[in-house]
Amino acid sequence: MAKKFVSTILTVFSAGVLCAQTGQPYIHDPSTLAECDGKYYTFGTGSGGLISEDGGWTWKGGAERPGGGAAPDVVKIKDRYLVAYSATGGGLGGGHYGRILTMWNKTLDPKSPDFKYSKPIEVAMSDGMEDCDAIDAGLLYIPEQNRLWVSYGTYFGNIRMVELDPETGKRLEGYEPIDIAIDCEATDLLYRDGWFYLLGTHGTCCDGVNSTYNIVVGRSKDVKGPYLDNVNRDMKQGGGKMVVATGDRAVGAGHFGRFVVDEGIEVMSCHWEADFNQGGRSVLAILPLTWKNGWPKAGEKIKPGVYEIQSERRGYALEIATDFVRIPQDRQAWWKIDPKQKVDTLKFQQLSDVEKNWKKGDIEVRLSDFMFRPNQNWKIEAVTDKGGYLGNPYFKITIEGTDRALTAAENFEVKATEKYSGLDTQLWRIEQTIDGNYRIMPKRLAGENSDNTKFVLYSIGDSTPILKEWDYNTDNSKWNIVKHDK
Amino acid sequence: MRQFLPLLFLPLTLHAQNPIIHNQFCADPTARVFNGKVYLYPSHDINPPKPLPEGVREDWFCMEDYHVFSSENLTDWKDHGVIINQKDVPWGNPGAYSMWAPDCVERNGKYYFYFPDAPKDGHGFTIGVAIADKPEGPFTPVKTNIQGVGGIDPCVLLASDGNAYLFWGPGRCAKLKDNMIEIEDDTPVETIKFGEREFQMSGVNCLKDLPSRQAEGPFAFEYNGNFYLTYPYVRENTEVLGYAMSKHPMGPYEYKGLIMKEHANGCWTNHHSIVNFKGQWYLFYHQNDYSPNDDKRRSVRIEKLYFNPDGTIKEVTPTLRGVGIVDALSKIEVDRYSSASSDVKIEFLDEEDKFQGWSARLEKKGSYLTFNDVDFSKFENGYVTANVKADKNTSFIIRDKNAKGKIIAQFKVVCITEGQFKRDYSGQWLTVTAPVNYLPKNITDLYISTEEGGLNIDNIQFKNSEKYFSKPSSTFLQPDNDGFIKRWHILEPINMDLFTNAIFTDSYLDSVFCNSNYTKLFATQPSDNQKVKYNNQNLVWHKTDSERFNVKLFRFSEMYSKKYYGVLYSAVTVINCDEDIENVRLAVGSNSASCWWLNDEKILLMQGDRRMVKDDCVSKSVTLKKGRNVLRGAVINGPGMSDFCVRFIDKNLNPVRNIRIE
Repeated sequence: MAKKFVSTILTVFSAGVLCAQTGQPYIHDPSTLAECDGKYYTFGTGSGGLISEDGGWTWKGGAERPGGGAAPDVVKIKDRYLVAYSATGGGLGGGHYGRILTMWNKTLDPKSPDFKYSKPIEVAMSDGMEDCDAIDAGLLYIPEQNRLWVSYGTYFGNIRMVELDPETGKRLEGYEPIDIAIDCEATDLLYRDGWFYLLGTHGTCCDGVNSTYNIVVGRSKDVKGPYLDNVNRDMKQGGGKMVVATGDRAVGAGHFGRFVVDEGIEVMSCHWEADFNQGGRSVLAILPLTWKNGWPKAGEKIKPGVYEIQSERRGYALEIATDFVRIPQDRQAWWKIDPKQKVDTLKFQQLSDVEKNWKKGDIEVRLSDFMFRPNQNWKIEAVTDKGGYLGNPYFKITIEGTDRALTAAENFEVKATEKYSGLDTQLWRIEQTIDGNYRIMPKRLAGENSDNTKFVLYSIGDSTPILKEWDYNTDNSKWNIVKHDK
Repeated sequence: MRQFLPLLFLPLTLHAQNPIIHNQFCADPTARVFNGKVYLYPSHDINPPKPLPEGVREDWFCMEDYHVFSSENLTDWKDHGVIINQKDVPWGNPGAYSMWAPDCVERNGKYYFYFPDAPKDGHGFTIGVAIADKPEGPFTPVKTNIQGVGGIDPCVLLASDGNAYLFWGPGRCAKLKDNMIEIEDDTPVETIKFGEREFQMSGVNCLKDLPSRQAEGPFAFEYNGNFYLTYPYVRENTEVLGYAMSKHPMGPYEYKGLIMKEHANGCWTNHHSIVNFKGQWYLFYHQNDYSPNDDKRRSVRIEKLYFNPDGTIKEVTPTLRGVGIVDALSKIEVDRYSSASSDVKIEFLDEEDKFQGWSARLEKKGSYLTFNDVDFSKFENGYVTANVKADKNTSFIIRDKNAKGKIIAQFKVVCITEGQFKRDYSGQWLTVTAPVNYLPKNITDLYISTEEGGLNIDNIQFKNSEKYFSKPSSTFLQPDNDGFIKRWHILEPINMDLFTNAIFTDSYLDSVFCNSNYTKLFATQPSDNQKVKYNNQNLVWHKTDSERFNVKLFRFSEMYSKKYYGVLYSAVTVINCDEDIENVRLAVGSNSASCWWLNDEKILLMQGDRRMVKDDCVSKSVTLKKGRNVLRGAVINGPGMSDFCVRFIDKNLNPVRNIRIE
């Protein structure tokens, strides 16, 4: 019988401060994120949109898109950006005569001399009477196939799809719209591993903290459908599997957009109808996107806290290399124990029990059995003034109760410095992988002048971490961030 | 690279009034009827390439290849792509951009395509031939040009005497050998003086002594024992189309007059062909529609052509409408009108991309245009859409036939709305719709007039409404393959004055659905057209079959011109069973909240703001008893497209289908 101590792994994080984006991330129906010259952009309902100049953490207004209307989308095609939007339609005062329009721009940066939208072209429309309202464009471009599609429509009847010419942004000659779902809003298409996915928004929109907006998905081998959900229900019969509905202290997820950061690292953008931390306003959300059995689901953003950092390779825990100090315990022969005898709760080893014997200066880090020891308790804290990446700010990672900071060292090694001094080598991006693990990446490598986007914390041996190029296809690259009872 | 060209130009279907080809320039149209279809062999104007090739002028004709088009009805044209490029001509100068007016005839199962080109060595133009097994090609050029023939604009007349006659510009004619690629050895040769120089020219000059200043582009044909030699020439400053007649193919010809006057817009050239298709004669010609400031880039047009009893030709007036019958269900480009009030102008939709076409500007109240020959035979019941642009809210009317005709549809153009959802679409293109009040019969003319201020109209289109409901048959109806029950008595909606779906809590729904005033409505089984009264509202029950698995309540309201937002719908159906069916569950999707009763027992309440999802909510197990079972539902909705889908499923989750709906 294994004497393994089974820890309680909490999958529910305590409420953190990092659930939504920071800055002034106020938007409704954000378009798929687009990167242009190191900045990130998203466009929303109405006019304009948001820009992030710090890698994707802080967002503020300033993106420019003429035309107004609801729920635009943007996609990069070769060296240009195609924006799809609709100025009319949407019911209410706009009637249901919608038009999907596309226009090009060489850049998304309004300050660039190249910033100029081409004349919008109509690619689809609804006449106001038919079962469709041609707004809420969602673009899908598959670079390998050089093919482009747009889905559109609302609760007013059918969601439709047409194929576009990726050179011109016009509808393919003679391509008639195809019904692919009913009664969704803000749809988007994505393609992965031979499957086409149709994401749509269900629920109540625009009712603040009472909005039940949620994103659902169906999939098909054929872009023309049928898009079936996980119980084989056609989205033309209302089917759909939930991708995300609520987040941390935020409700009403709407308007999905997928952004592939790296192999195995994906994020999804959407808005929360109401963020309880930001006055119940509608804000931009960027969440990890995970994939399980071929279905997308919003993942878990890392949040400040104290954690075990556990390798996916062996399951050992990251620790600073200090003596293993035994915990004293009165023990009795097990066959003499009176089962009715009252048992005590034992305390874990405390930092103060061991810290005085830790050496000054840098300490190596290594991987070992997790034993709830102070040299294994990593405090992950957000650093809010150093920028970030899509979805989060950078984190500092220190041994709880100390200032000893996980640091990228020379020659692709990692160590714990005695003090945290705010160096870029002490800032870490922690991103959930599509299979639910995390990758842990220093902002900068020791001795480098520019930010690092390749080297990650990597198990070169079961007990030895180094920094090595990210490779999704090995567990050496992946980590679990595990919360334990104190 | 060049061999891929035909692939790039996959056949396209192009709708046509005048001009008939909408995505490229083309000129000098020769139309021929082969195998029951019209084939069009025009020359292909392009803008000169940049940088300008040697010897090519910016302001001159520029043509590097030929396309062929075909049509079965003169309105829908298919582009078969490039058939010959200047680089394909063995004897031609591959960089001369001089592929001028061609012709094509069929003889002994082969298609002979005649075209002028600049020869590799020497000046001016000569004429060559390319041969194919099909009218759309592929064409193989003959190695040499037609020996002894110098000039442009070939036309071949297959005369009733069994001979083929080659005409070319300005107006010469020679008999072709049976091989169709050489002229007869005994063709006369004439010595022509041109200033100081002398030329040897083959053939007969058929325009001798006829009005023929700067004549070119001869087109000869035979009809009712007469030979017609038709040709453009300059009467005053620009070209007209004139013609002469003879009893013999090679003349002498007698001048008879004009087929078409000078172009009103100053386009210098005209060039044409005349063809009989399905018993009607047509004139194909060109004008510079898509290039108003440059008459070297032209577009092909068609008009009907008529003969007088003495064989002379009635003069033809150019129109925008052109020819062909236009399907009411297609986009009717009314800017190509048949006639219009004097204030009506046409304007390019996009000055930078003129191939986008035009709109018609109707300037003021009372402005009108007519559009002839619209076929309503495929239009059953529905509405009409129009693409319009206006600066202020306005309205217009479509009438049958003329100004006094019956009103087909009345449009309101609301581009500016005030109030809560303030919008301003003035000066923007909008799609507006109107119900069709009067359904014209078969083929008719349309009369469109403004009722208020001015507006631009791009096109109109009639659309059949989708079918959502049908009249129930007298026999029992089985559920569909998925078990959905599609036959219902539905009560006209009860007005609830709701502006949101957010209030559909359990207790609110109980208060609405279970109050005795409402349940009284179901005291007796409703019948079709039965009138009831509820809270001072007069309502009618309608028995109907849904065409779809989901019963589209929104469209039900629309069908009876009732309110569709903020209403309560009531539905009843009677299910007959041959025996007790135990352990079944009712599975419902509804937009929005709903409640369901089986034999007066409430079995399902669906609260909240819902979208219609198949099997969204499922009841506890119930028994469908032998005989009649009454299933009723109430669906309440604020904004949104209300509908529901209902079925029974058994304990294995399979649909229950062994029931019959009365």
